[in-house]
Amino acid sequence: MTVETVGFWVVATVLLASSLAVVLTPNLFHAVLYLAAALVATGAIFLLLDQPFLFAVQLLLYAGGVVTIVVFAIMLTERLVGERIRQTSRHLINGAIVSAAVFAGIAGFLLRAPLAMPRPEQAGDATASIGRALVGPFAVTFELLGVLLVTALIGALYFARGEE
Amino acid sequence: MISNLGLTLLVPVTPFAAFLLLAIVGPLRRTGRGAGLLSITAITISFAAALIVWTQGFVGERTWGWIPADGGPIATVGVLVDPLSNAMLVLVTLVSLLVQIYSLAYLSDERPASLGRYYTYQSLFVFSMLGLVLAPGFLQMFVFWELVGLCSYLLIGFWYERPAAARAAVKAFWITKLGDVGFIIGIVLLWAATGTFEFTELFEKAQAVSGLPLIMFLIYLGAVGKSAQFPLHVWLPDAMEGPTPVSALIHAATMVTAGVFMVTRAEPLFALVPEVLTLIAWVGAFTALLAATMACVEGDIKRVLAYSTVSQLGYMMAAAGAGAAQAGFLHLLTHGLFKALLFLAAGAVIHAVGTNDVFRMGGLFRAMPQTGIVFIVGTLALAGVPPLAGFFSKEAVLGGVWEAHLTGPFLMLALTALLTAFYMFRVVFIAFFGRAFAAGHPHEAPWLMRGPLWLLAALTVAVGLRLAVGGSEHEAPGWLVPLSLALAFAGFALAWAMYQRGLVDPATFSTALAPFDFLARRRYGIDALYGVLYRALVLGFARLIGWIDRYLVDGVLNVLSALTLRAGSGLRGIQSGRAQDYVYGVAFGVLLLIVWAQLWR
Amino acid sequence: MIGLSSYLVLAALVFSIGLFGVLTRRNAVGILLGIELMLNAVNINLVAFARFHGDLTGVIFTLFTISITVAEVAVGLAIVIAIFRVRRTVEADRLDLLRG
Repeated sequence: MTVETVGFWVVATVLLASSLAVVLTPNLFHAVLYLAAALVATGAIFLLLDQPFLFAVQLLLYAGGVVTIVVFAIMLTERLVGERIRQTSRHLINGAIVSAAVFAGIAGFLLRAPLAMPRPEQAGDATASIGRALVGPFAVTFELLGVLLVTALIGALYFARGEE
Repeated sequence: MISNLGLTLLVPVTPFAAFLLLAIVGPLRRTGRGAGLLSITAITISFAAALIVWTQGFVGERTWGWIPADGGPIATVGVLVDPLSNAMLVLVTLVSLLVQIYSLAYLSDERPASLGRYYTYQSLFVFSMLGLVLAPGFLQMFVFWELVGLCSYLLIGFWYERPAAARAAVKAFWITKLGDVGFIIGIVLLWAATGTFEFTELFEKAQAVSGLPLIMFLIYLGAVGKSAQFPLHVWLPDAMEGPTPVSALIHAATMVTAGVFMVTRAEPLFALVPEVLTLIAWVGAFTALLAATMACVEGDIKRVLAYSTVSQLGYMMAAAGAGAAQAGFLHLLTHGLFKALLFLAAGAVIHAVGTNDVFRMGGLFRAMPQTGIVFIVGTLALAGVPPLAGFFSKEAVLGGVWEAHLTGPFLMLALTALLTAFYMFRVVFIAFFGRAFAAGHPHEAPWLMRGPLWLLAALTVAVGLRLAVGGSEHEAPGWLVPLSLALAFAGFALAWAMYQRGLVDPATFSTALAPFDFLARRRYGIDALYGVLYRALVLGFARLIGWIDRYLVDGVLNVLSALTLRAGSGLRGIQSGRAQDYVYGVAFGVLLLIVWAQLWR
Repeated sequence: MIGLSSYLVLAALVFSIGLFGVLTRRNAVGILLGIELMLNAVNINLVAFARFHGDLTGVIFTLFTISITVAEVAVGLAIVIAIFRVRRTVEADRLDLLRG
């Protein structure tokens, strides 16, 4: 039982549990918190896959930024009466069946594919390579990403304006 | 100079050109008198050309292919010129010309647009009749046959605002159509057997055809309809709803004679089927007698003349059936002249007095002597008094029927001769002599009407004299002439006794002959029978078809559209507008793709 | 031994759970949370493949995906807020103006 194996199983359990909680809990606030937990667990998965840079990015952007935004959104869309948003779901069984079917389909492919392979050796920290790639082959994409973020910013600003 | 062929073509083409001009150029047509003058000019040219062709004795044939096929055209159009067609050309163009001139005065108080329409139809009719007469084959003849029927419908129903006229036009169309169905079936059967429509070829090939009697009988049916033989004679009296010049032209001299003309033209074919000929003779003679009885009890002057026409057509057909087609054709020509004369004179009377009813006329001879004279000339010709034209042609017919040993028809025709004289002189005595009745003051007709009358009367006399001098081809039995003279005189005397002198009371006479009187007054119930059959069969069939159309044909479409609508509103539920439902759809699609990919492996 | 398939199965599970959330949540924000989970699963997939094939392209792809997702969440929530202002509700069932 290597550390890797134990770590994987623990992180996997946390991830799955918090994901289920995200979609099942009636209280929306709690759902957001559980999402935060799931995002952190995902970051841990990245760590297990030897990508510390990605782990950091995940925490910063997702667990930090996205969760904050969602919390604000929930607060703003709450009824002015002030009660917490109760959340009930509909058509649970239908959804469960469809999701289970999709999973079964994907898993069917996975289990049949020849995937079991050992990890190749990794030469040290990948962060430098990532940096070089970003300003190298992927420079154009990088810049376009910047444009996209500006666009999103302007769009969000537009929507955030009050009524005229 | 134009060749004879060119002249022959000129005869039908000029009225056709006039028709086209009048039909297309609205303002010209609506001038009324202008349209009339154009039409009259065209028919004059046509008549002149016809005269030249006839006097030259041109004989020939020229056809052009119409429906092309591999082994030569299936059908042709063209002209077939021989003495038969030449004589008809002259008759048709002459009577048309006189009638069109006459109409200028008779229809003088029509609206100009209406008058223009009248002359358009007249030109079309003349063209159609000439095309029929010149037809080299059955197909062209049939096409123009139908055209002539169409013109008859248009002209009978000329005053279409009058319901009686509209009904009469439709009736004429229906009844003749019954005959035409047989006609076209016969033509097609003949073509199927011989492969040709042309007369000249048919005459050679017809012997080999099996079932020829049936085919010729079917073709004869067309003549039954068009020439108003029993039982398809009922349309002719009702056709008197049209203007009198129309009756003179179409229902005396030209259109109704098309049937006789067709039988005469196809004489070599009919000669091969003697049983059909016998039938033709019997039906013709019976028609003659039947119509004559109905004329004896008519009070409407035009109706009397209409029944008289039916009767005389029976004479012509009987002659054709007896194998004496030439005699029948001679009677056609002479009858065309004096019947047109009688109709036009009657028209002058009607124009002056304002009514058709002879019992509301009287003593007209004093007021309109010229009209009276020409009417009497026509009556004498119709009754068969020498030396007028009708005598010779009637002689020929009777002689021909006797020669063929058809005793039954002969007796019927003889009795008809007596009745003919009787009913015509009855009209003469009631309308022209006796006490003056007329409410208004009848006056002599204008010159435009009197001119044609005198011309026709003169021609009747002239043709008669010509026939008297020329002598006939047949040697009739010696006792025939005195017999027919006696019959004519007997009819005259009876009419004179009843209506001029009052020696015999008409009322007691009719009670004495009560059964005939009863039947004749009700036209032997034939019209009523047609009415019942029409309502039952035709209208019933129409209702059935209507039901099928509404509920089955439309029903299919309606069901389809209703299903579509229902399916649409059912399927509309898919568009719930909720994004989550659409995600369901996407997920489902992904599932399908996965399944398909699994299978494909 | 944790092979590639383990990571992939884990990602598939998270994806299905996210899909379930999208399909069943009533609140619009709840649906967005489900979408977040699905995107997360995709990221795990990308990184796992990148690691096991020794190719950094997957990692770069993941970086971009994360950034884009952040932008998408921001705009999406802005829309939700705008809808809430107009319709006074964010319940997905009520937002059916495109109903046929």
